[in-house]
Amino acid sequence: MASNVSRVYIEVIDDVVGKVRDEFINYGAGEAVLNELQSLWEMKMVQMGAISGNIERPAAASRQPGQVNPVHDLNVPYEGPTEEYETPTAEMLFPPTPLQTPIQTPLPGMEQGMYNIPTGPSDYAPSPLSDMRNGVDMKAPRNNHYMQPPSPWMAARPLGVDVNVAYVEGREDANREAPHQPATQMVQMQDFFTAPTGKRKRDEFPSQMPPGSYNMPQQDGSSDAIIEFEVSNSSLQVDRRHEKATGKGAKECSSIPQRDGIDDEYESLFPLTPAPAEDYNNVVQTPAEHVELRAPTPVVAVGTPKPTPIAAGDDEEPPLNEDDDDDDDLDDLEQGEEEPTTQHLVLAQFDKVTRTKNRWKCTLKDGIMHLHSRDILFNKAMGEFDF
Amino acid sequence: MATFELYRRSTIGMCLTETLDEMVSNGTLSPELAIQVLVQFDKSMTDALESQVKSKVTIKGHLHTYRFCDNVWTFILQDATFKNDEINDTVNRVKIVACDSKLLSQ
Repeated sequence: MASNVSRVYIEVIDDVVGKVRDEFINYGAGEAVLNELQSLWEMKMVQMGAISGNIERPAAASRQPGQVNPVHDLNVPYEGPTEEYETPTAEMLFPPTPLQTPIQTPLPGMEQGMYNIPTGPSDYAPSPLSDMRNGVDMKAPRNNHYMQPPSPWMAARPLGVDVNVAYVEGREDANREAPHQPATQMVQMQDFFTAPTGKRKRDEFPSQMPPGSYNMPQQDGSSDAIIEFEVSNSSLQVDRRHEKATGKGAKECSSIPQRDGIDDEYESLFPLTPAPAEDYNNVVQTPAEHVELRAPTPVVAVGTPKPTPIAAGDDEEPPLNEDDDDDDDLDDLEQGEEEPTTQHLVLAQFDKVTRTKNRWKCTLKDGIMHLHSRDILFNKAMGEFDF
Repeated sequence: MATFELYRRSTIGMCLTETLDEMVSNGTLSPELAIQVLVQFDKSMTDALESQVKSKVTIKGHLHTYRFCDNVWTFILQDATFKNDEINDTVNRVKIVACDSKLLSQ
């Protein structure tokens, strides 16, 4: 126990006792009660080890219960300003004038409730930060969904010789224009909408696929295929094969977007949407072929109708960390139970709390720390936490 | 002047509330006066920390939980280290409760 902590505590006690004295007198409680209060308070503090047993305060000896100090009157002018901190000596000797009126306090007579402070463990309220984060998470997969990543193609380019690519492209266009005139136009429109690079045209063959599957990540498979075919031979048949290939790709894609089903899954994680139940029913009720078609999806859907913590743990890339809340709540409960035993507590005021990524920084001031059952006071504290 | 009831949870505050509880329940003190004492304690403790305490502390640790509710930050740290010129304490779990200092100046 640092001696200065003890000293501060004693000063606080004296300050409080000195400043409520008038209230006590006004209420008719009398100084005896006040002195009882003080001695009880100090006794408890000593028992807790918060202040040292022998309270050495300069004027303590002169202060006996009920005793009126004869010097009192002489020093009246001195006792005016009670707003600011006074040294214990002055206070003990000269009780303050009834200048100050304490602020209004909640209803009298509430035995338990009156000591409550609003800072206790309250229900979890999602902070704006976490909302923001969730928002970002929500958008991420969708963006992937809509954006054709040009990178695979760009990456593939250096593999082939540039000359070949140019040559292929020209021929392709020729082939395409003859039999699939309308398709090409559609392609170009789509091109326009998706703002592709020049080379992207090649990827537009699968435009005859259902529009819904347009977003599949076709570059990987089909562009490779294109290079193969086009380098080797250049007949219409090849073109058709190519279409077939891409068509197959489309079918694959019809299953791949279900992996986009990460999205669905993600949405089903929201507690308010009834999606999980629906998915579940669909799986049960759909005809066999349908199930077959959507084979990859139902598994996922069945697996995740209810985001149990276990499932979330097994999931390699959990779309959201919402389950963490549950964990935290549980932890809070646990912690609430074990708090009496390991009670390390810091009570302070914060000046600033900032976060960058998972690094939290906060500046605290005017704090009381209770660590290893001893009290430490601080004027300033810098906290650096990683979440 | 606004005050925080925050410090009532400290050792000195708990001792005071216990004392007041006893005195109120055995009839020596009226609940109104007890509340006055507590309010005065809030002020005196805040003042004393502001004017009497000069030490600085650094806190490092793993942030297990954070919460900002009703202008109160709550952090639960794991394996937190507290350092100043006198102490170098490590605790496996500590809770930090901090009120907004700007509210006091209002």
